[in-house]
Amino acid sequence: MSTVPTTCPFCACGCGFYLLANKGELVGVAPSETHPVSLGRLCARGWGAHEAALWGDRLRQPLINRHGNLETASWVEALDDVTRRFRDLIAAGKSVGVLGSPRASNEENYLAGKLARAGFQTNNVDFCFHSICRPLFAGLEDVCGDYAPSISLNDIEASETILLIEGDLAQTHPRAAFSVMKAVEAGAHLVTIGYSRTQMARLSSLHLQTTPGNEGEVIDGLLAAVLRPGGGDRTSLAIPCEGYDALLRNVEAVKITEEMRQAADWIAHATRATFLMAPTSGYGDQTRNAAAALATLAAVTGHLDRPDSGLLPLLARSNVRGACDMGVAPDRLPGHQPLCDQRAQQRLQDLWGKKLPSTRGLEAESLLQSVSGLIVLADDPSAVLPMGGRALAALGKIEFLVVLDAFVTPPSRIAHAVLPIACFAETEGTLTNMEGRVQSLQVATQPPGEARPGWQVLAELCARFDAGVSYNSTTDVLREIAQAAPRYARMEQRASDDEWGGRWVKDPDRGKFKLYATGAAALTSAERPHVLVRDGAFDWGRDPLVSFSPTLSRDSQSQQKLFPNGFVEICKQDADGLGVPVGRQVKLTSVHGNAVVPIRLRADLKPGVLLVPYAFRDHVANVLGTDSVTAVKVEQA
Amino acid sequence: MNDVFLPDIATLVKAWDETPDTKTFAWRFRDLKGGKDFHFLPGQFLELSVFGYGEAPFCIASSPTRPDALETTVRRTGQLTDALHRLGNGDEVGIRGPFGNGFDAEAARGKDLLFVGGGIGLAPLRSLIWNALDERDRFGKVTILYGARTPSDLVYRHELKEWEERSDVELLITVDWAAPGWTGNVGVVPVLFEKVTLHPESTLAYVCGPPIMIRFVVRDLLARGFKEEAVISTLERMMQCGIGKCNHCAIGHRYVCRDGPVFNYSQIRELVE
Amino acid sequence: MVFAIQRPGMAKWLEKLLEGGEVIAPVRGPCGDVVFSTIRSPAQVIWDFGNPLHPPKRFVLPQTDPLVTIKRNGHRHEVEPIYDDARRILFNVRSCDVKGIAFLTRMHEMEPADASYLRRANRLTVISLACTTPCPPGFCVCTDSGPFLSDGYDIQLTDVGKSYLVEVGSEKGEAAISVVPSLFRKATESELLKRKKLETAARSHFGQETCHFASAMRRISTGRVQDSLWDKMSDWCLECGGCNLICPTCYCFSVKDLRRDGTWIRCRMWDSCQYAAFTLEASGHNPREHRKERMKRRFFHKVSAQYYTRDSTVGCVGCGRCIKVCLGTTDMPAVVAAIRKGKWHE
Repeated sequence: MSTVPTTCPFCACGCGFYLLANKGELVGVAPSETHPVSLGRLCARGWGAHEAALWGDRLRQPLINRHGNLETASWVEALDDVTRRFRDLIAAGKSVGVLGSPRASNEENYLAGKLARAGFQTNNVDFCFHSICRPLFAGLEDVCGDYAPSISLNDIEASETILLIEGDLAQTHPRAAFSVMKAVEAGAHLVTIGYSRTQMARLSSLHLQTTPGNEGEVIDGLLAAVLRPGGGDRTSLAIPCEGYDALLRNVEAVKITEEMRQAADWIAHATRATFLMAPTSGYGDQTRNAAAALATLAAVTGHLDRPDSGLLPLLARSNVRGACDMGVAPDRLPGHQPLCDQRAQQRLQDLWGKKLPSTRGLEAESLLQSVSGLIVLADDPSAVLPMGGRALAALGKIEFLVVLDAFVTPPSRIAHAVLPIACFAETEGTLTNMEGRVQSLQVATQPPGEARPGWQVLAELCARFDAGVSYNSTTDVLREIAQAAPRYARMEQRASDDEWGGRWVKDPDRGKFKLYATGAAALTSAERPHVLVRDGAFDWGRDPLVSFSPTLSRDSQSQQKLFPNGFVEICKQDADGLGVPVGRQVKLTSVHGNAVVPIRLRADLKPGVLLVPYAFRDHVANVLGTDSVTAVKVEQA
Repeated sequence: MNDVFLPDIATLVKAWDETPDTKTFAWRFRDLKGGKDFHFLPGQFLELSVFGYGEAPFCIASSPTRPDALETTVRRTGQLTDALHRLGNGDEVGIRGPFGNGFDAEAARGKDLLFVGGGIGLAPLRSLIWNALDERDRFGKVTILYGARTPSDLVYRHELKEWEERSDVELLITVDWAAPGWTGNVGVVPVLFEKVTLHPESTLAYVCGPPIMIRFVVRDLLARGFKEEAVISTLERMMQCGIGKCNHCAIGHRYVCRDGPVFNYSQIRELVE
Repeated sequence: MVFAIQRPGMAKWLEKLLEGGEVIAPVRGPCGDVVFSTIRSPAQVIWDFGNPLHPPKRFVLPQTDPLVTIKRNGHRHEVEPIYDDARRILFNVRSCDVKGIAFLTRMHEMEPADASYLRRANRLTVISLACTTPCPPGFCVCTDSGPFLSDGYDIQLTDVGKSYLVEVGSEKGEAAISVVPSLFRKATESELLKRKKLETAARSHFGQETCHFASAMRRISTGRVQDSLWDKMSDWCLECGGCNLICPTCYCFSVKDLRRDGTWIRCRMWDSCQYAAFTLEASGHNPREHRKERMKRRFFHKVSAQYYTRDSTVGCVGCGRCIKVCLGTTDMPAVVAAIRKGKWHE
């Protein structure tokens, strides 16, 4: 029996554990007390991490479309086919693109980006989950100029005040929720802002319930409480800040409640404070504004420039940070450097020995709806993107679709070429967690059939598009990443601060902060007095790591079976008001359109709010349109 | 030592539709010896493997007095039951069991028997009903009260007819929602209590059906003077191993698979969730 | 009879044991964790170590345990049991884990017995190392499972300085020392005295701390734990299932068919009663839908008089692993204390 240390492939907390393998098959997971993030603990997903690789519907052989059918092929045939078709498309002046994945390693994402930029000469490279976390990142960058100064999960435990803009932390990031719990147990003040009374809200000292999309209003209130005269000297600005006067003006008229004043007190007087925000609520601009206001609040209370304080964006999938760092974005180069940064462009051109395109590429949603040739790395856009099922329809229209995955997924069934790759337990590589810790994946078992490690397949494709160097190992790729991305400089040689070999990404230098308040607008109207919100930012139920695990898939499979038409959640008062009994349907109408869906009662909602779980967003696609929160009229169906 | 996890192979002799989503399956063990050794009691259950889909518990719906047929009645609710419904004659399944305590037919000797079934809950009762009818002189009055949501949800129609025609059985049927052409009783099962004469002191009541029906029927029976010990039901839980090990069906320190599935109401009341 | 073996003789004995089959012992893993691992040479064995966080129960009850092969030939199926006939020696197991394995074996011996489990357990020799320095989170004195044992082991070793005391508790134990009888001699009076002193010292490590299982048991068994207390406590659980998975006495499982090259392998897998889907039925009905109900269930199984009567012990060996592994704050001692006091985090 072998015991192989590796990194958890689920959320971006970046836990570590041992994979146990027997006779070449995974048999279990063992926890580690020495892992700096896990410290002996794992969540249910971590405990079941071995299952998907073992039980999953795996891709074992390359497949290519012959006469309308996917048939097995040799690697040479499949790669030749992909090369020829992409060359033809590019030669014909048609657009092509690559989708990377937060389920793939840094090395795979880096090579995916290189294949697009150097190989296909396009910036059409992105990853699907990016469309969900982009507004959050943008808001933080508005203030900090880059990723916000992060705090490690372990440091959260020593915080005196924690401000949590809720998704449902206990569900999405159990490891982070644990740190918050420990802090609360030790006497910290937890302030939660959100539209439902989740588990973390129940543990909080203060829960500021909002209507969906209005988180920014509450944060503005906190800002006002901190900044307005009479509040005592609560600000503490060590780093120069731009926009301070404008900020003061902006919060002048903001209403401050007694609760906000209390929360602001806790935040301002804390020596150590943590700010957590999940990319869940509000629509794009509102999330961006709320994130900027949150970072502003952290900045003006001095918590962005103290060592044990910080702001942590809560990223759903293991390598979101890594995919961003690898430049898997239409407007970013490796190292998260802007595409327009001339020096960065030049450095990359020198490194790759190719002239690179400078026009910004398309973001994932538009990309897959407009390109003629697409390579999808280890992801199912229809499961991840807010547009849901419509993404699959769009993929179906692509002239030549290539899927690299370890698992059978909906896109792999409709692809023109399928290249089977190793799953996380079968390949080497690194993942960067949300704290910025770069940790290793290790080989516990061999990939099934003819599947190969993804980085090898992508390296081969790069070579075929004249963007290749020969890499003997993932370390060779990491060495090149270290040259391409300054904050990964000498990563392959950097000393680890723990026995697991994790190394930190360099924090960017920060000159100053730029301050913002949000200025929220009302969403509802007399005609459409209710708010429908797409709840959550990700549906683990459709991720192969969960859906193929016998233990982890049970809840979501049961829900899908029991609610073939989905449901929206509503509070009892609203349901009674409508005269609609549980299980019966309501008709929802927004400016975008209408839908008829069954209802379920949920106790922790305010009147006027309806939630649709992310997994069931397709059933109200007409109502939501491209929004994640929208005003609706609710009627008996 | 027996391999408790090793199923015996059985083949589907025939299957027939009971309702649009419910079928009854008749099984015969492929290995004759295994078949001959298979003794069971009414109320016991099987772990049935649909190969590739896993295993699930189903009560035995046939009577031990008719050993040629081993029958189960199954409603389609998930992957495994879907696969089961797709099987054709001659197809194979795995069977482990029988498991559980079963109804105590000996204790029922000389007593009047009242069967109260709801929907597919008639399946475990059917085993005991035929057992009683095949040994008719050992028991007193036999009364069957049966309810379903709609007329098309009634199972074992041929047998219902046969029981109706027998003079030594009293059968009353009701449906929650009548359909066009339905001339019988309408309403939930307890409405039938008004139409029969019960002798609580000499009767054992066997109640199977959806939890909500059981709750109301039991309440009415107790109100009519039945002792808790005389009200007998079967519990359903996700029994996986059948041998009291996997803990899925544990209620308090009892295991539905081993200590049940048959409990009298006084036992059920003592179970701590 | 109690034997002794000189310190240098230990390597020789281990060498002989290694010739006879698989020897599993706690070793220091690549990342610093102490893990149970198959050893190749006596040099790998460590003598000063904290108990591995992942318990050795997987050597009798693997996390993924193949039970039956189902082969298909056209319409015909053949089923065969899968036997694990390997003879294994668990070396340097801590007292709590010895009790844990003994507990599991009793559970699986209960009729109808589980042959698959027992086959593995019967071929396993358990050589324990008495805990002269109890580990920090452990509370084995409360559960009568350490720091020294009076039964349950095949062999119990005690480090008495220049030698190890060797207490043989079973025929399997006798067989294990008979591989090189010459290494073992009768223990001396002073060695026996040393053991006694060590045990007293080890016990005194736990100080005056008493455990509260008895009073918690009274409340749990009679349903006198307030629902609101379960409610509160369950908010401090993140439903990771870790407490079950690393518990030496937990054995819940699920069964599922694994497809491999045209055959199916029916496997049992560890499961946790804390997972919402543990009792979820195909109809969607879930008798323990709320986390507090599942938490109540866990502690009823572990600490109720009903189970105590059946199992002659609480379902806890005081190893303290749930304290380390809990992704929340609802480990065994914390919950037992809360039940006794009727208060949580107040």
